[in-house]
Amino acid sequence: MDRKRVDVLSLVETYRARFSKTSAGKLYGKIPISGQIVALVIVSLIFSFGTKGQFLKISNIVTIMGLAGIPMILCLGVHQVIIMGAMDLSLEGIVAITAVFSGLLLKNSVNTNDVGLWIIPFVIVLGGIAGMINGLLNTKLRMPSFIATLGMSWTLFGTAIMISRGSSIPIRDLRFQKVIIANIFGIPVVFVLAIAIGIITYFLQKRTKLGKHMYAIGGNEVLAKQAGVNVNRIKILVFTITGVIYGIAGLLLVARLNSSAARYGNNLLFPAMTAVAVGGVSLSGGVGGALNAMMGTIIVVALNNGLVLMQVNPYMQSAVNGVVLICAVALTIDRKKIGLIK
Amino acid sequence: MKQIIAEFKNIRKEFPGVIALKGFDVNLYEKEIVGLVGENGAGKSTLMKIMTGIYQPDGGEFLLRGKSVSMRGPLDAIERGIGMVFQEGSILPNLSVAENIFLCHEKEFSRLGIISEEAMNKKAQEIINQHGLEIQATDLCGSLSPAQRQMVEISRLLWLSDLYNHENPILILDEPTTVLLEREITKLFENLKIIKAKATIIFISHRLEEIIELSDRIIVLKDGDFVTDMPQKEASTTKIEQLMVGRDLATGYYRVNEQIEPEEEVVLKVQGLAINSMLEPISFELRKGEILALTGLVGSGKEELVKCLSGSMIPSQGKIFRNDKEINIRQPKHAIENTIGYIPIDRRVEGLAIDLDIAENINMLVYERLKKHKLINRKKERANALHWMDVVKVKASSHQMKCGNLSGGNQQKVVLGKWLSAETEILIVDHPTRGIDVGAKDEIYHHIRNLAKQGRSMIIMCDTLEEDIGLCNRMLILKDGKFVKELECPPNAKPTPADIIKSIV
Repeated sequence: MDRKRVDVLSLVETYRARFSKTSAGKLYGKIPISGQIVALVIVSLIFSFGTKGQFLKISNIVTIMGLAGIPMILCLGVHQVIIMGAMDLSLEGIVAITAVFSGLLLKNSVNTNDVGLWIIPFVIVLGGIAGMINGLLNTKLRMPSFIATLGMSWTLFGTAIMISRGSSIPIRDLRFQKVIIANIFGIPVVFVLAIAIGIITYFLQKRTKLGKHMYAIGGNEVLAKQAGVNVNRIKILVFTITGVIYGIAGLLLVARLNSSAARYGNNLLFPAMTAVAVGGVSLSGGVGGALNAMMGTIIVVALNNGLVLMQVNPYMQSAVNGVVLICAVALTIDRKKIGLIK
Repeated sequence: MKQIIAEFKNIRKEFPGVIALKGFDVNLYEKEIVGLVGENGAGKSTLMKIMTGIYQPDGGEFLLRGKSVSMRGPLDAIERGIGMVFQEGSILPNLSVAENIFLCHEKEFSRLGIISEEAMNKKAQEIINQHGLEIQATDLCGSLSPAQRQMVEISRLLWLSDLYNHENPILILDEPTTVLLEREITKLFENLKIIKAKATIIFISHRLEEIIELSDRIIVLKDGDFVTDMPQKEASTTKIEQLMVGRDLATGYYRVNEQIEPEEEVVLKVQGLAINSMLEPISFELRKGEILALTGLVGSGKEELVKCLSGSMIPSQGKIFRNDKEINIRQPKHAIENTIGYIPIDRRVEGLAIDLDIAENINMLVYERLKKHKLINRKKERANALHWMDVVKVKASSHQMKCGNLSGGNQQKVVLGKWLSAETEILIVDHPTRGIDVGAKDEIYHHIRNLAKQGRSMIIMCDTLEEDIGLCNRMLILKDGKFVKELECPPNAKPTPADIIKSIV
């Protein structure tokens, strides 16, 4: 059994090496997200056959874009932390708290508040503070990010439920929903926003010191520190930026549904993680970027959309997502770098 | 006379319980390569760590270009023109060559916080071309060979000293050759000799031959004190070894006088063992109490051969007999069941669980024996560990000390203890003395001789040819996956390295 496993892995390696020497392989290697593009094409082909072309209709593509917006923003948040070799599970908590605060501060049916557009800087600051606490726990208290952010997630979620008394808050300020569900040149605004955030993160990663140092930490924290990278500062900053992105996503969720509740954050972490893995961001850190996160989200959302169109049992969709996550990690994981699989 | 670039004056450093540097003077001159030698614990690394600001001296002064300085850390050192290439290397594999070279100095290429990748890559390409590296600035460092990574690191340090306008930077190389192949070492030495024209290089290595070949001057440290320095012309390995250890090692080196004649009984027979494209069929026998050396360059097939015997590689053909009974080794477990033990080259990765304590490591293979009423018995555990620690003479405060905190020599002894405790009769020892200082080496030789006397057989592959010749009863020479010849090495008629080198290369 053990022998066979080794053979399969080495076989894959040999073919990969042989392919990368051909001219098609060289082109494949040059484009940063070529693997994900191929995956998306395969998914599209399967579903367009499965749905008799319905999947690739313009209207459905627009639907996919609309659906992909918020998950893409969340994925753009979480993948930054993963690039640093850390983990962020606080997504659902931060989304819950910003959603509930947005609900209570905008014009609503529960109290008399109405902050209007001031809600935008508010969620940015709130998400940022929550993210910063993650970073501080990780760097100053030297807690593993995995457990620090998990704790934060539950703390914030609980607080959100407490504040909202467990019920949903209808919103009476309709401006936000109007903007969010609109289209620009036929493209959903929420998707345009996600792409904009994607471009900003891409730029941040490729063209700033913060980005370079983020990758250095993901590659090897000790060595990065030796070279002079201010590891703690970068980590806190990245956690903060990630928190800001979650905060924005929380507000967008509220705006789209025109109501707010703590549970809006639920079940958002898993798709974001799947998108990170499918996009080819290495879970061990240092590899992948904004493009991977965006492409990963599109693949995951397209896959779910295709399953719905094919009228696959909704209960089975969770299982499919799980299998996709496992397959994505199995195909993209760099076994040499990790060395020991724990 | 060359100008002094840096000097240590009465430099002292103490750690709890140990005086690491006893207070001595050393000078470094411009444009020279200094070899720094000494046993582990002689104070080499402490001295270098004071130079790079990782440690602060407890007494004395460090003068750089005539001025007394106290370094605040590696970054400060770099800004003052002192760079160190650490043993493990400090190149990040997931970044490109350019990103690695300019890590933390991106501001040279940025405007309003925005970095120009084009400018960065262009400059990096210029730098690596200067040093004769045939790589692209955009290549990921993970895809480079260890030698190339090392050169990238050296280029980085030299560029940094340029950046901070230092005429004659000091470059410290800590055991740079351990990760390199023979021809890469030659290339590195060529490069270093070119770099010497504008820099001072401090070269640390356990391989004295290398030090003598490369250095203009050799400084010997012992027990935290300065012993002497000598120009290259006056240096020889025996002379340096004597100075390092402070006793005469030449007599009975490798404990040749303790070598015994193996018994007639054949304990292991290999028949036509081969691995596709790596090793052509080879047959040999190993007798009881015999030490058999496998020699050859990297790629000669010797590594693969021992991997087959230890179960981490599966041969494509051939048979292995243990005491005349054919055995099938497909996993390390099978080797252990046939009492074949393997002491790997990289103790810290393959040989030891460094996060576990000494007792856990020694007992690892024999927990079955340490049970009482089906449960592992703590007393038996302790007794077994202490017994074998005593046999192999591990120096540690207790059997519960973490192996990661032991010195290289003591770690190697723990590995040895583990296999002895498992009653291994055949031991495959891959580079038994790599990274171990001279004094501890002698202890390891002593153990190897003792094991042979007790009737255990060994297959060894050593760091140097001399060591192979000195230790073994018999030698098999391999080249390019082929068996070349067999040589007897009796105590009084050992072949010389020169006799053998022709068959190897």
